[in-house]
Amino acid sequence: MREILKAENLSKDYLINKKKFNVLRNINISINVGDFVSVMGPSGSGKSTLLYNVSGMDKMSSGEVVFQGEKLSELSEKKLSGLRLKKMGFVFQQINLLNNLGILDNIIFPAQMEGSQDRKKVKQRAVALMKKIGIIELAENEITQASGGQLQRAAICRALINEPEILFADEPTGALNSKSAKEVMDVFHTINKEGTTVMIVTHDIRVASHSSRVIFMKDGNIIGEKVLGELKDLDIELKDREGKLSKWLLDLGF
Amino acid sequence: MILKILKHDLLKKKIITFAVFIFIMLSAFLMAGGSNMLITLNDSVDYLFEKALLPHFVQYHSGSIDQVMIQNWSQRNENVKRQQNSEMINIPGSKIFINSQQAEVDTVMDLSFVRQNESFDFLLNLNNQIISIDQGEIAVPIYYRQRRNLVPGDNVVIKNEQFEMNFIIKEFVRDAQMNPSVISSKRFVVNNTDFEKMKNQIGKTEYLISFQLNDPARISEFTNQYSQSGLPQKGPAVDYKIFKLFNSLTDGLIAAVVILISLLLNIIALLCLRFIILLTIEEDYKEIGVMKGIGIAASDIRKIYLSKYIFIALTGTIGGFLIYLPARKLFLKNIILFTGEAPKSILQLILPLLTALTIAAVVIVFSIIILRRFNKISPVEAIRLGINAKSYFNKNSFSLSKNNFLNANVFLGLRDVLMRFKLFIILFVVFILTTFIIIVPLNFLNTIKSSEFVRYMGIAESDIIMDLRYTEGIQDRFEQIKTYLANDPDVLEQGAFVTSRYRIINQEGLVENIYIQTGDFSKFNVDYLAGQSPAQANEIALSYLSSSELNKNIGDKVQIIIEEERREMIVTGIYQDITNGGRSAKANLPADYQNASWYNIYINLNSDIAEKINEYEALFDNTKIIDQEGYLAQTLGDTIEQLNILTIAAIIIAGVVIFLITSLFLKTLIARDKAQIAIMKSIGTSIEAIKIQYITKALFVLIFAIFIGTITANILGEQLLTIILSFLGASRIEIIINPIRSYLLSPLIMILIVVSTTLLSINSIKKISLADIKVE
Repeated sequence: MREILKAENLSKDYLINKKKFNVLRNINISINVGDFVSVMGPSGSGKSTLLYNVSGMDKMSSGEVVFQGEKLSELSEKKLSGLRLKKMGFVFQQINLLNNLGILDNIIFPAQMEGSQDRKKVKQRAVALMKKIGIIELAENEITQASGGQLQRAAICRALINEPEILFADEPTGALNSKSAKEVMDVFHTINKEGTTVMIVTHDIRVASHSSRVIFMKDGNIIGEKVLGELKDLDIELKDREGKLSKWLLDLGF
Repeated sequence: MILKILKHDLLKKKIITFAVFIFIMLSAFLMAGGSNMLITLNDSVDYLFEKALLPHFVQYHSGSIDQVMIQNWSQRNENVKRQQNSEMINIPGSKIFINSQQAEVDTVMDLSFVRQNESFDFLLNLNNQIISIDQGEIAVPIYYRQRRNLVPGDNVVIKNEQFEMNFIIKEFVRDAQMNPSVISSKRFVVNNTDFEKMKNQIGKTEYLISFQLNDPARISEFTNQYSQSGLPQKGPAVDYKIFKLFNSLTDGLIAAVVILISLLLNIIALLCLRFIILLTIEEDYKEIGVMKGIGIAASDIRKIYLSKYIFIALTGTIGGFLIYLPARKLFLKNIILFTGEAPKSILQLILPLLTALTIAAVVIVFSIIILRRFNKISPVEAIRLGINAKSYFNKNSFSLSKNNFLNANVFLGLRDVLMRFKLFIILFVVFILTTFIIIVPLNFLNTIKSSEFVRYMGIAESDIIMDLRYTEGIQDRFEQIKTYLANDPDVLEQGAFVTSRYRIINQEGLVENIYIQTGDFSKFNVDYLAGQSPAQANEIALSYLSSSELNKNIGDKVQIIIEEERREMIVTGIYQDITNGGRSAKANLPADYQNASWYNIYINLNSDIAEKINEYEALFDNTKIIDQEGYLAQTLGDTIEQLNILTIAAIIIAGVVIFLITSLFLKTLIARDKAQIAIMKSIGTSIEAIKIQYITKALFVLIFAIFIGTITANILGEQLLTIILSFLGASRIEIIINPIRSYLLSPLIMILIVVSTTLLSINSIKKISLADIKVE
């Protein structure tokens, strides 16, 4: 299997009131192309911090992250931005759409920022994505005219518009009801099936059960990993995987 | 809770709130200072006039006088309270050395040496006491103390080939008549004995025939009586109104400018305030909705916010007034020096405080008006959506997905300005104002500097202008020059004109003086506003001001008194003239050498002008010989220089204002847009891309404003200049624009300032991180 992302001895410290907090301690992790990795753990375990550090959004304190052979610590701010724009996609718990743009505009925004693409094709791709993800009827809407689940799906479209190599998601269903959450996870499943690597932070077993690997974190350390294997059929396997996962988590003390 | 909200709000927008405070403070400071200047000026001038026992009417006369005749006439005239004849020795600047090896050759002033007067028109010292001078001592006009930094003990030397006299400066003269620098005569006071020694040795004698009237309101009537009296009149006549006007002019103008700047700062403060309020409403939209939702009346919510702006307005104004108190003397320094200090009136204390408080009142009223918007906030919408859903622009018609040409960042910048134009109004208005402030003086300067300006000065275009003022034997000299020129092969053509004082019957049927230039106007013609030059002996052309004051138009008849007979003349033309107070006329009459005031000869050459000027200067004494540019430079030199300084000052002030407001605006905007910027950065938008968006916003507003500002400057500026100059005598001014300066350089300077300020102010977007999204 080809490796897309690797963290070596990755550490992150914060200074709060002159006290040092080790949020990440010597993390080592390797993600291959096509993986669907979930990061779980209790609040404050460092899972979101891990996501932001391996995606280059946050600056690590020590160690290294290698993305497609490139060491992130050696990249300039501009190159890091470029990398995030072209090769990575992001979905956030708080959705984070730009509130002065309409839904379609939010989706094509990264593609226009990227600059080199044919604008007609971008629009066609955005429309195709919206159709696929089931929000095509919202194309002309403002973001005040859609529900949370619809907006999160629009955010996923935005994350996918530049056809990224890897999709990072931080608690993407955290702010959604269970129906919306399921719709969103179905989308993630489909994307992954089509070849996009996915790394997702969640505390929800139902979400994690979609992934091929689950990493469990506590106090800034990875304390376990469960390989669930590829999810082939959403309807049949999901319950079983959820069961396996909760047992494993229980063993870890979650 | 109210205090908490206020504190939070003040801290959150501390930079711009502080700026509003400063603008209000400066505005109040200048308003108090400016109004104090006006009131003090008025009091001081009155007090000075009272102390100096200023004459109400003064007739200058060069030549001899018959004292007894004047006294007899005065005794018979019921208007006259006191009459006095004073002798003055006029000495050319080239013979006077004031604390320097260098003579006052370049001076524009007529310098006169006088004795202290006996009964009125006293020359005062800096304590407003009547000057008394010992032999060998001199009192020098304040004008020179200012220009030369003179102190008592410095020396003044007067000398020509045969005569020399040394003086030590004892005091400085506060001369109620001739104090202001705009009056081109200055009086030096010497001892009686010294005066007698100087007389007949140096300079020429002129008389001041002064009158104090029983009722100053009857000056016009008296002026008429005097002009018909047959008493000496070889020279200008001035009166009380002119003294008052000139004494108030310089400092009055400065006070007006100070007040104007104060108002401008107040406008900027109001714009900043409006910006803050709009941002606050946007940010607190949800909270305001919640408050309304739980039943708090809009008026009560408004009070919470209003209290903050009242607080800023009052502290700012009081702060400004408190700074004004110790700085008061600074505003009054010039006034106190030139006109002295009158006893304090209660108004002097109260008026500045009142005017400063009006600044606070304006700010508070303005805030109340803007905060009315609270009424419009719907609680349901606010709580549900959390943001103001109303847009000023149809978003769909201007969407990114429909943008096929523009760079996405440029497009987003433009879009934001159009969507949230209300926020950008502050920047827009400030940019228009600053464009105006730069362009108007620039155009004024260029117009006055251009050689075409001569057409507003009532003189014809020519290569050389000769100007002869009244001296002994002037008529012979004038004839000599004419003959010489007639025989000079380098002279293409010459035109000789004599300007004499005539009497004209005005609208009310009263007799008025008017300077009429006489000669042959078929050559060396001026540009006429209407009509043409007088050709026949019964034709006359009037200057714009004369025609409007006499209420005469082309074809109308005016009556002129020529050789004691009324003669009717037809107005054939109206021309512009800003020299000699703008009141003049031209007629094809035989020259009246008896009443001639000055002589002009216009010459066109077929050889080098500079060489000819040198040749003529060597040949003809006591004659001003200059080319057209030199004429403009001499006549308008001071004005041009002042305008130059004003233009540079305007550009600097505009630059500082642009810098301040742009940086304040953008810093606040970035703080407000923090979450949006954080989102853009998180999904990979580079800092450069975001910077382009903000530069686009600033530049778009600027370019739009420059466009509007330049058009208004060109239209209003021309009208403004026309209004100013029509008081002086030119009613139809064409602004001459230097396109490189006005249309290229000044916008370029503004663009440079805005781009660099923007880059400087938005640097903080580097530090915005994902954590800032939570601000939203």
